[in-house]
Amino acid sequence: MDYGIAWLLIGSLMLLGSIFAGLLSARVGAPLLLVFLAIGMLAGSEGPGGLTFDDPQLAFALGSTALAIILFDGGLRTPRATIARGLGPALALATVGVVLTAGLVAAAAHYLLGFEWVLALLLGSIVSATDAAAVFMLLGRSGIALRDRLRATLEVESGSNDPMAVFLVITFTSMLAVGELEFGWWVAADFAMQMGLGGALGAAGGFALVWLMNRLELSGGLYPILALAGALLIFSGTQLTGGSGFLAVYIAGIVFGNRRVRADQLVGRFLDGMSWLSQIVLFLLLGLLVTPSELLPDLGAALVLAFFLMLVARPLATLVCLTPFRFPLREQAFSAWVGLRGAVPIFLALFPFLEGFDSSGQAFNIAFVVVLVSLLLQGWSIPWVARRLHVALPPEPEPAMRLDLDLARRTDRMDRDLIAYEVMPHSRAADYPLAALDLPRRTRLVALIRDGVVQRLPEVTQLQAGDFVLTISPPETAATLDRFFSRRFASTAGLLSVDQGDFLVDAGTRLGDLCAAYGIELAGADPNQTVGALMRRRLGEELGRGDRLRFGQVEFIVVDQIGAEPKRVGIALEPEEEDPTLLARLRRLRLRLPARLQRLRRRPVRVSGSEKEESDAASSPGSPTL
Amino acid sequence: MTLSELISPQAVLPSLRVTSKKQVLQELARKASELTGLPERAVFEVLVERERLGTTGVGHGIAIPHGKLAALDRLYGVFARLEHSVDFDAIDEQPVDLIFLLLAPETAGADHLKALARVSRLLRDRGVCDKLRGTDSADAIYALLTESAASHAA
Repeated sequence: MDYGIAWLLIGSLMLLGSIFAGLLSARVGAPLLLVFLAIGMLAGSEGPGGLTFDDPQLAFALGSTALAIILFDGGLRTPRATIARGLGPALALATVGVVLTAGLVAAAAHYLLGFEWVLALLLGSIVSATDAAAVFMLLGRSGIALRDRLRATLEVESGSNDPMAVFLVITFTSMLAVGELEFGWWVAADFAMQMGLGGALGAAGGFALVWLMNRLELSGGLYPILALAGALLIFSGTQLTGGSGFLAVYIAGIVFGNRRVRADQLVGRFLDGMSWLSQIVLFLLLGLLVTPSELLPDLGAALVLAFFLMLVARPLATLVCLTPFRFPLREQAFSAWVGLRGAVPIFLALFPFLEGFDSSGQAFNIAFVVVLVSLLLQGWSIPWVARRLHVALPPEPEPAMRLDLDLARRTDRMDRDLIAYEVMPHSRAADYPLAALDLPRRTRLVALIRDGVVQRLPEVTQLQAGDFVLTISPPETAATLDRFFSRRFASTAGLLSVDQGDFLVDAGTRLGDLCAAYGIELAGADPNQTVGALMRRRLGEELGRGDRLRFGQVEFIVVDQIGAEPKRVGIALEPEEEDPTLLARLRRLRLRLPARLQRLRRRPVRVSGSEKEESDAASSPGSPTL
Repeated sequence: MTLSELISPQAVLPSLRVTSKKQVLQELARKASELTGLPERAVFEVLVERERLGTTGVGHGIAIPHGKLAALDRLYGVFARLEHSVDFDAIDEQPVDLIFLLLAPETAGADHLKALARVSRLLRDRGVCDKLRGTDSADAIYALLTESAASHAA
């Protein structure tokens, strides 16, 4: 009895410790997840905490739950537009990319380090997935603004490649059970079954959950619990029927997040909290589970694999997957570097361990070191790399202070939201008379509080910064409405950055006028269309902030948007020369390849020379050293 | 191409006193008219026409108004440092005090774009801008523009 309470005390202390350490880490810029992992290790058997936690079974169950919640929350926060923009490249990365990464790492493990093929392939698959939690957190909370398409790709990739990695790991674990490599139709059939079932059950479960949420009359606090229980049911149910539960729960999250659901604000906040808790728990657990001194024998091999993964396997995989989608090279380089490994590899390494094929915990230890190196090097340097590669856009203007009031929403009878705003200084609402504000359709101001006093609306001619207003607005125009109350420009981003070109024009500018002003050839384009219309036509409907269109000698860049419509367009007068054809790029690569190969050849020789012995020693314990 | 091909020491207005964007453009047009012999009105109208497409105030107190004129024989630049900064509808809504005007002949094509890019790159350099703000001698400004331009030409 006391014992249980003592665990609770320890657990809550570790949670509190993580939260405070997280606050501190923000100052140093250390990756948060690393901090959680470190706390777990400190509390663990060889740290000052001295806790012995050696229950991989429990760790696996808790880890699955945590991962399912993180994926559901990630799906929930992925709007349809993001999926439309990122689906193609993200799917390529999540399938071909994962297989390529796993294969290359396996080859390195086999040829450089002398692992047997099965074990090598298992290792490759374990470290092949980027971590959803880490990437969501890094992109979502770090405040780096990326081109919309790039961000969408990375986010959707990180959510959808976990199921792929899980599949590979299970496949190779079962091959390990047989003891030999045996590829056959069953792998393909199994893949189709896992993904098909996962996708179908996930979508069906998502719709069912939405229906249930909107149908049941519950007290408010129960809705988030209903959503959470539903998500976990979808995950575990799919998993037990033989589908991919991870894919199912991610898809269910996407479905759920893109439908009108009662209490969606409540659910969103609750899941945000749960997702944090899951990440903390996951990393604490893995930190507790590892025995640092046991890492030493595998350290050399793990470091070789970690650097091979970061510098060769992942960059090659992104090059192959993103080139057909015409991502500029610097964005590919950035994507390669954001291939962050997080809890997933460590968690996946528990599979073979639990199945009893990894009694020494070698795979687990290697995965742990790879993740540690990746979090340290990549996690820490991403803001810097984003700036160096010029993929960071200036930050978005400070968003409006906004509060949705969630009325018990009946989806059929009430189709408008009640939204409260605080009027920001330098916002359109504060700078223009009320009569001149062209508010979106079917939007009304219903109340205004100024200096704590409720104003009589008919007497108000202009809003002021600091006013609180209450509006009624259809949900689809909420994004447009935000712009009326937000600052009109980012206070920090005065000068146009290189990535937005030299000058700005209104997207409504006639193409003919613009071309005449700069002497740009029209090359058959209709001079009467607007620049915005040209960009939408050429780049497709899902164009986003930061997207570029080469036009004659110049490049047009989407600087900002209202909804899907570009609002201002930047003109880059001397765009970087980027030959868009794959062929030309490959030709160029071939020219550079000898130099690169030479550099590469030099590296592994040096590393593997010293590492080879260690791995040999590790794989045949007892022979040389004892 | 270096900025010394665009701008002459006579084209620098080291401490211009103006109170509005319109007045800035008028003064620049007058100076350009002196240098090129074209009517002041025509220059002014071209500049206003360009501002209609979107402001040339690129932020941090910099503006680079520009335009094309058929009768011009080559590219012309005029630089003005304002005594007091004025509102220029700049993208960051901050007042502007350093202005580079660039006029190009109708046929300039790529040269026009190249020159504009050069100017824009030069004035992105905060160090150069601080130095430009720190002096009111036309010669010093001319030297800053043309010297720094050499290092920005790459």
